[in-house]
Amino acid sequence: MNHVFGKLQASLTRQVILMNQTLPLSRNMPSIQHPVWSSASEGRYHSMPTHGIGSWKYLLNKKRTQKKKKDRHQMRQIVAATDSTYGTLNVKVSGYDMTLVERYTQYVHHLCNRLRINVSLCYALPTRTTEVMLMQEHGTKMFVDAVLKTHERVVQLNSLNTTVCPVFMDVLLKHQPEGVQLSVSEHTEADFKARFKARPELQELMTNMNQ
Amino acid sequence: MAAPCAGMAGRPLGQFLSCFRRTVAVRTGLRQFSASSMCRAASQAATVTERGTSPWNLMAAVCLQRLPVISAESSPLEQRFRHMMQQMELEKSLLSDHELRLLEDAERMSRKQSDDYDSDEEDSGRDQDIVLAQDLDDSWEQKLKNFQPAPRVSADVDKDLSSVQRCLADSLVLLAEQQVGGGKLWLLPQAPWQEGETLRQTAERALASLPAGFSATFLSNAPCGVYKYKLPKAARTDSSEGTKVFFFKAVLSDIAPTTAINAPFMWLQKSELQRYLKPAYMMKVERFILDL
Repeated sequence: MNHVFGKLQASLTRQVILMNQTLPLSRNMPSIQHPVWSSASEGRYHSMPTHGIGSWKYLLNKKRTQKKKKDRHQMRQIVAATDSTYGTLNVKVSGYDMTLVERYTQYVHHLCNRLRINVSLCYALPTRTTEVMLMQEHGTKMFVDAVLKTHERVVQLNSLNTTVCPVFMDVLLKHQPEGVQLSVSEHTEADFKARFKARPELQELMTNMNQ
Repeated sequence: MAAPCAGMAGRPLGQFLSCFRRTVAVRTGLRQFSASSMCRAASQAATVTERGTSPWNLMAAVCLQRLPVISAESSPLEQRFRHMMQQMELEKSLLSDHELRLLEDAERMSRKQSDDYDSDEEDSGRDQDIVLAQDLDDSWEQKLKNFQPAPRVSADVDKDLSSVQRCLADSLVLLAEQQVGGGKLWLLPQAPWQEGETLRQTAERALASLPAGFSATFLSNAPCGVYKYKLPKAARTDSSEGTKVFFFKAVLSDIAPTTAINAPFMWLQKSELQRYLKPAYMMKVERFILDL
């Protein structure tokens, strides 16, 4: 043990000697040995030598196109189906119980990540409220028995490989919880347009203009 | 459609992709899938590429699965955890509107019972309800008592191997007894391949040829497994060295019990398959049957 310590000490002292030897070199030629200082004196304050050391945005090209407001909600390109892959598919999960629906969507998403399936979007459709009305026993009036909310979540997949498809679908179906409906369909432009709210005044004005 | 050349080993998926025509499948629906397959280009059937004469007979088999109907039983640990989480959530939760109403009504009743009650002092601002919250509660309790859920597990149905309703918590695979070579064997329903049809169509034909009318949705055009069977040396000729069976996965669409079939069918769990299938066959088949 002792001679190990001895070796350690020797190496340490050797390093210290080396350090001492380099120092006088550095003092003589500041511009070469310390290039950092020369540029630092322009942008950095002497007491904060590493200030802004992680910044890189100033190196990028500043010409960014101004995004117009109507371009913000452009539809993503629908991928066409080829011989070995499906096109853009929508995996729609819907049900009454929100926790189940959301958890199942998470499961679908994680499974896609695991199987390296390309997930392009994951969004929610607005909740639809259904009122269940029952006829009153002694009377003709209907009264509200229950209020059911249908939640829908969509996971959009791009170019699902046909080899992975049966495995993927099998696993999804076997893990489908009770009370949750699963539907897989192709994504169309109508699906995309359905997410927007209808604007009746605008449509009225358009029809008036066109007439 | 070109048949795959001889000398292909039992590699299930990737190589067969290029051979198969893709059909556009639109699936919607609940647990029950409905797939309408629109053939992309009918002209593809007309193009017959060169077909090397292979000594293998081709067959396609269908692995028809009945998915679990109810969730699986939870293990004792899961039950204890669930119980604990429910308790925690109950303790952390706030009172709902209905429960607040119950408390208010109870308080109002107790105030009414007391001697110095003046209805003008009632400062709830609400009219006297005809239907108290407690009455609603009682009527809901009554409705709950009248509801009888179906039993999850019925032992006698479980024992009937040919019933579709057995073992609702597990996924089952259909086995049929078919005439193969010399004798009858229990195996996944299969049919021989004919010229001019895709292997998936052969599998659909195999399913349709069963006496019981099962309606199923095929999951994909690509097969999920292969079983190669070489004929014993005595029976081998130049044109038939053996058989290759390609398996396709399908999911049963309707769960309604069909009329009593006397045909030899069995719905088995994966663990029970071993008793009825030959070992070599079982080895290839169990690779793609998911026992989740």
